[in-house]
Amino acid sequence: MWFFILAELLVFGVFFLAYAFARMRNVELFNASQLELDRLSGAINTILLISGSYFVVRAVDQIRHDQSRACTHWLIAAMACGGTFLILKLVEFGAKFEAGINMSTNTFFMFYLGLGFFHFMHVILGMVILGAVALKAWKGGYSASNYGGVETGAAYWHMVDLVWIVLFPLIYILN
Amino acid sequence: MTAATFQWLTLVTLTALTFSVAETGLSGSSILIPVLLATLLKGRLVIDRFMALQGVSGPWRWVVLGWLLLVLGLIAYTFLYS
Repeated sequence: MWFFILAELLVFGVFFLAYAFARMRNVELFNASQLELDRLSGAINTILLISGSYFVVRAVDQIRHDQSRACTHWLIAAMACGGTFLILKLVEFGAKFEAGINMSTNTFFMFYLGLGFFHFMHVILGMVILGAVALKAWKGGYSASNYGGVETGAAYWHMVDLVWIVLFPLIYILN
Repeated sequence: MTAATFQWLTLVTLTALTFSVAETGLSGSSILIPVLLATLLKGRLVIDRFMALQGVSGPWRWVVLGWLLLVLGLIAYTFLYS
C-alpha cells in the first residue's frame, strides 16, 4: 500500500508543480480567476477532511483495544465527513458550470477543475476503502492482534487528506 | 483530552488562521511565508501523528516528508520569482 500511496503523492506533486510553474507565466490571469473561487467552501472542506482523518485515527485506536463496533462507528463518521466534502464540492463545481466556467475557460480553471476532480475521485476511492474496512470490522474481522487492514485503509485516507492540505492553500489562498 | 484530539484542534486552528489571513486581502510574500509554514506544520502533523510515521523504521517517513518539503519549497520558489 505504501508504494501505491507514494505513487499517488508523486502524481499529485507533479500536478501541483505544473500549476505553480504555469502560474509563473500567467500571474494576473491566475490571481483574477482565483477571486471567483468560494474560499469559505474550500476552508470548510479542509476541516471536513481533517476531521475525517481524526475519526480514522480514533477508529484505529479502538480496534487496538479490540473494540470492533466502536471502530466501525468512527469509520462511519469519517465516511460522513467524506460524503459531506463530496456534496460541497459538487455544489462548488455546479456553481462554476452555471456561471459558464469550464476547463477550457482558461489555464487557471483547467487546473482548478482538473485537480479538484482528480482529488474528488480519490475521496470516493477512500470512502470505498473505509466502507470495506468498516464492514469487515462490523463483522468482527479485525481484532487487537489483527488490524493491519484498518491501518492500511487509514493510511490511504490520510494521504487523501495530506494532498488536500497542500491543494487548498495553493489553489484557494496564495496569490 | 487525547493527543489525537489536541492534534486535530491544532489542524483546525491552523486552517482557520490560513483562511483568516487570506480574508484580510494580503498578498505576495506577506501571505506566502506564513501560509506555507502553516501548511508544512499541518502536513507534518498528518504524516508524523495521524499516519504514525514518526519513529517507524525504514525510509517511509523521510520519503513522505521529503515529498512535502520539495513540493512546498518549489511552490514557494515559483511564487517568489514570478
